Amino acid sequence: MAADRKRVAGPESSVAPLVEYPIDYQSWTPFTETRHDSHRQPEDLRPIYLKTGLISEANGSAYIELEKTKLTCGVYGPRPVKRAGQGFSDRGTLNCEIKFATFSCVKRRGTMRDAQEKELSQILSQGLTPAVRLELFPKSNVDIYITVLESDGWGSCIAAAFTVASVALAHAGIEMLDLVAGCSASYIPTSIPSSASTSESTSESSEGAGSITPQIFMDADLEEEKFQQGSIVLAYMPSLNQTTHVLQTGKAEGAIISQSVEHCVEACNKIFAVMNHALLESIDQK
Amino acid sequence: MATPAFTFTPSTFQKLHPAEFFRRFTTEGVRPDGRLLDAFRPTTVHHGVISTANGSAMVRIGGTTVVCGVKAEVAEPKLDAPDQGYLVPNVELSPMCSSKFRPGPPSEQAQAVSEAINRVLKESKVLDLKDLCIEEGKAVWVLYVDAVCVAYDGNIFDAALAAIMAALNNVRIRKPTYQEGTIKVSGGSTATDENSFTLKLARTPLSATFAIFDTTLTILADPNVTEETISDGQISIALDETGQLCGVTKIGAASCSQSAMKDCVQSAKKRTQQLRNIMNQQ
Repeated sequence: MAADRKRVAGPESSVAPLVEYPIDYQSWTPFTETRHDSHRQPEDLRPIYLKTGLISEANGSAYIELEKTKLTCGVYGPRPVKRAGQGFSDRGTLNCEIKFATFSCVKRRGTMRDAQEKELSQILSQGLTPAVRLELFPKSNVDIYITVLESDGWGSCIAAAFTVASVALAHAGIEMLDLVAGCSASYIPTSIPSSASTSESTSESSEGAGSITPQIFMDADLEEEKFQQGSIVLAYMPSLNQTTHVLQTGKAEGAIISQSVEHCVEACNKIFAVMNHALLESIDQK
Repeated sequence: MATPAFTFTPSTFQKLHPAEFFRRFTTEGVRPDGRLLDAFRPTTVHHGVISTANGSAMVRIGGTTVVCGVKAEVAEPKLDAPDQGYLVPNVELSPMCSSKFRPGPPSEQAQAVSEAINRVLKESKVLDLKDLCIEEGKAVWVLYVDAVCVAYDGNIFDAALAAIMAALNNVRIRKPTYQEGTIKVSGGSTATDENSFTLKLARTPLSATFAIFDTTLTILADPNVTEETISDGQISIALDETGQLCGVTKIGAASCSQSAMKDCVQSAKKRTQQLRNIMNQQ
């Protein structure tokens, strides 16, 4: 990797040390009948803390905290597009940029935007564009910048990004059809398949090798995601009852997927109430 | 016939003649936001805000918010310093914190602030880099100290330096064992004084920044973003806990009399003492 001349330089390459766990260390597994956070049930979300108005220079801003996942969002716009030579467009554009701080993940992230961040930025733009009334500001651009300060679970990070971006857009006074709430769910097997284990497996008899039904865990954190078979992230407009984006990874049967979408929709409705509360508070502050 | 008089609302006047609008306030001894000329904005410091980092802190000076995280990694030492580790501070000014910054590589201002802070840390020998040695000639710790500006309202130097010093104070690194070319640390269980170590900082430099206005010979403490834009220059003075100077950084094309400089240093002494109290309280 070329040395970044514009930053104070460190060594050419560095690695994180190898972490060795003691032999008697019990790390969390899904087979222990509880979640990683023992206060939560599989259908519970983490408590959400949402606040607006932390960035005075921005047109709109919001901060979200889901226990250990922390994101800030700043919205600038509508601003005129710099390069007018790209042809007249009667619709405005939405530009979303997400950046993980170098200290936000367990392994230090690079300072330059990598492919993962670029893909996430695209996903966010796709999920938020249907909700914003872009036809009201032609030749203009709305910039959404999100910084992830701490990340505890990939799915919850993306879902929180949708939520915080919508609240920041609303705080900026940009007209939208509806707020977009984001929610994530993981499919985690809670019992060892009998074909892979010895006779000590106490799960219900599974017909065929490896065909155990995974359980749906809402808003999984990093430790829980290590065991997931698949996951789904949903971006949903609660008042219009429309989904703007679905991101499904891993393998799962159709029945599980439709069940998890229902759970996510329910959770999004709860998140919608939190978003409204945060926006009402910001009006009271003004 | 009487000549027509032009009158403006205060906000229009501020946009048309920012310097004149400002001068109307400073001649009365106040600033548009109600502060006195030598007053600093309310400051808060929070320690240990990011659990994925080895050490972290968040500092808020008025509307400027900086979050600093320290990550420790292992690298080979330089050939001419085989028993010294690395301390790599950087300040990120992203387009999120203000519309002044464009997306892309670090702007000149970010580079200047990063380099100024690097100079203060290195020249005043805040940390003995030999403390970061794991195995001489083979492996040393690298401390990546990244200060991310979350909201920008002027005076990034003070906020970034305070956040970096608070984060360095907060650092806890697991004790490493060197085994045939790999570095191992123990995992699980909480970090205690037995399985981890903290950094021994020789001194804790903190700073106070002042904006200089040439034409009116005014010095303002802790400029916010509007004051920064119309000022002719800025001076930042860093002092450690014994009151010794750790660095003076002057940017811009303003000139400043010697007595004004002395006043700045006195004011900086009081301010850094106040900042230290705030840092130690929380």
